[in-house]
Amino acid sequence: MQKQIITVLKKGGLVIFPSDTVYGLLADATNEQAVKKLIQFKNRPWGKPISVFVDSFLMLEKLVDVNNSQLSLLKNLLPGPFTVILKSKGQVVSLLESEKKTLGIRLPSYPFITDLVKSFGKPITATSANLAGRPPHYSVTSLFNSLPKQKRDLIDLTVDVGDLPHNKTSTIVDLTEPEIKMLRKGDLVFDQKNSFISQSPEQTKKIAQYIFQKNFSSEKPLVFILQGELGTGKTVFAKGLGEQLGLEKIISPTFVIYYEYPIKSGKFFHFDLYQIADKEELENFKIEKMLVPGNILCFEWGEKSSTIIDLLKKKAKVVYVEMEYINEKERRIKYL
Amino acid sequence: MIILSIDTSCDETSVAITDGRKVLANAIYSQVLLHKKWGGVVPSIAKRAHEEKIDLVIEECLHKFNRSQTSTHCTNLFITCFKNIDYIAVTQGPGLAIALEVGINKAKELAKKYKKKLIAVNHLEGHIYSAFAQNSAGNPQREIEFPFLAIIVSGGHTEIVLMKDHLNYEVLGETVDDAAGEALDKAAKLLGLGYPGGPVIETLAAQVKNQDLDHFPRPMLREKTLDMSYSGLKTAFYYHLKKLTEKEKNQQLKTLVSSFQEAAFDVLIKKTESAIKKTGVKRLVVGGGVIANKRLRNLFRALAKNHQGEVVFPPYKYLTGDNAAMIGIVACYKAQKNVFAENPDQLDRLPRMTLTSLSGVDKN
Repeated sequence: MQKQIITVLKKGGLVIFPSDTVYGLLADATNEQAVKKLIQFKNRPWGKPISVFVDSFLMLEKLVDVNNSQLSLLKNLLPGPFTVILKSKGQVVSLLESEKKTLGIRLPSYPFITDLVKSFGKPITATSANLAGRPPHYSVTSLFNSLPKQKRDLIDLTVDVGDLPHNKTSTIVDLTEPEIKMLRKGDLVFDQKNSFISQSPEQTKKIAQYIFQKNFSSEKPLVFILQGELGTGKTVFAKGLGEQLGLEKIISPTFVIYYEYPIKSGKFFHFDLYQIADKEELENFKIEKMLVPGNILCFEWGEKSSTIIDLLKKKAKVVYVEMEYINEKERRIKYL
Repeated sequence: MIILSIDTSCDETSVAITDGRKVLANAIYSQVLLHKKWGGVVPSIAKRAHEEKIDLVIEECLHKFNRSQTSTHCTNLFITCFKNIDYIAVTQGPGLAIALEVGINKAKELAKKYKKKLIAVNHLEGHIYSAFAQNSAGNPQREIEFPFLAIIVSGGHTEIVLMKDHLNYEVLGETVDDAAGEALDKAAKLLGLGYPGGPVIETLAAQVKNQDLDHFPRPMLREKTLDMSYSGLKTAFYYHLKKLTEKEKNQQLKTLVSSFQEAAFDVLIKKTESAIKKTGVKRLVVGGGVIANKRLRNLFRALAKNHQGEVVFPPYKYLTGDNAAMIGIVACYKAQKNVFAENPDQLDRLPRMTLTSLSGVDKN
């Protein structure tokens, strides 16, 4: 399949392909004919930039100028559902750049795309497969139903994997100005470094999943310490982690302090320390036994975990998550 | 059919001997005082207490059973009793992992020693069947008529289940976050009312005639699903309290907890009503610790009356909380259907066991 896609891309063809957000339209970002065909398909006004997929920071740095402070921020965001805008080095077709010679870059945590870019060896366009000004598509059927025949004929290959989860399109972050600007808000709304704004439980779950992906490794157990007042969404965050791990029914463990769930890599332990009044009591839980590679531990009311924090740090990768109430609809989620 | 049953799913060590639906002997050691200090169940303390007490509780239960069976003094209590016992039943889940283990290990040991078949029971099945328990004389004599809607409402669970036959469970709705009893406990804790908070709230609310002055939100009431959520109510309550001074909180204490209780129960009652409308089933069976609450009983009675239906609750108070008698009753129906633990040695705890995982009927 990948070979076939690469052959089509090499010939300057257009490929409909699933991405981490919506169905995308792929073309060789270094082939002017291919890019022109893509712009024709999208009815996109000339001069409106189109971002590109890369497979690594190495490729990213070949395409755009990155200074040290930008790089440290990028390492933080990527891979993830972000489009970052930086000064272009002119390595792609200029039609993809903005008037100010900037270029949007996507480095998703979605192996389907990154493996493809890697095999192809060159950046690939990363635009959604809808006509300009129309909503994006989560299934190939709905996309094709919306297209007139002459548009459909422009497509050379379609990769249909059925319905995609309804993730929003990426958040676009402009890093070319002294002050970071968000041009479009996706699921992960960026506040400042390591800090997100959530406007719904669904978004909180997405943020949890993003933070998980950034931190999971098979070498060490992963521990989340969630801090925040009652009602800031700690259980929602844990549910997000659960969904990422294939667990659908995560419920509050307050009544029994913790629940354990089997997952692919080991076990998921979901603690709620709300009821813990005496710090010493925590030492009775045999948490040490839970700290084996592949296991994920999530502590709600993590501020009560201070007696075991050294143990956690020694044996596991620890991620601190602070959840803050901004108003009835919004929460700030910071992580360290 | 005489069954010895054990339940150690949470903070009660409980052993019972049942004959069909008749509870012949029942012994419970409650750990609630041990946990009171911590404001909730502490797993390691629970495990230790179960281990320390289980033999005593079994013995006490056998004594009661023996007295009911024969007037003659026996030399060996265990041997005499186990001659009359057909099967051994135990709670496999859901519950506290390390607490469940204690009961399961003990049940395995007894089954092996006295060569009895072992029956694994889901704690939630037990709460449903607790409504059909009878005393040793066979009272109350209510029949079990299908179909009915079973509602489980406790500190750890909130579920609405359709039952068309024995041991056949279709979960129509359940909490997606906190359980109803847990929400009440948390509200009580926020006001410094201690643990368990449900009974305190019930008393205070009754003193203001269960008024609802604050109209806290009822999450998920507008949604079509029969699932429930208590986390949003808890959040709203918390931020409401934050706006009040200590003095205001004290002045309004009774109406605050009353309003909270009304909101929590309203969600459950309305969702049950939706379940009645959806299924056309008007017979309600309610079990679990929170149904000890008289206000909730009255709300369920009124609901049943409005729909020309009926509602049954566990006939005795000890049956609302965790107890092994209800496990024994379920086990009897399992034995009738030949549902025994296939490999007793390998029987393992299932801390998050669900009713659906057991009957194979999936939620739509």
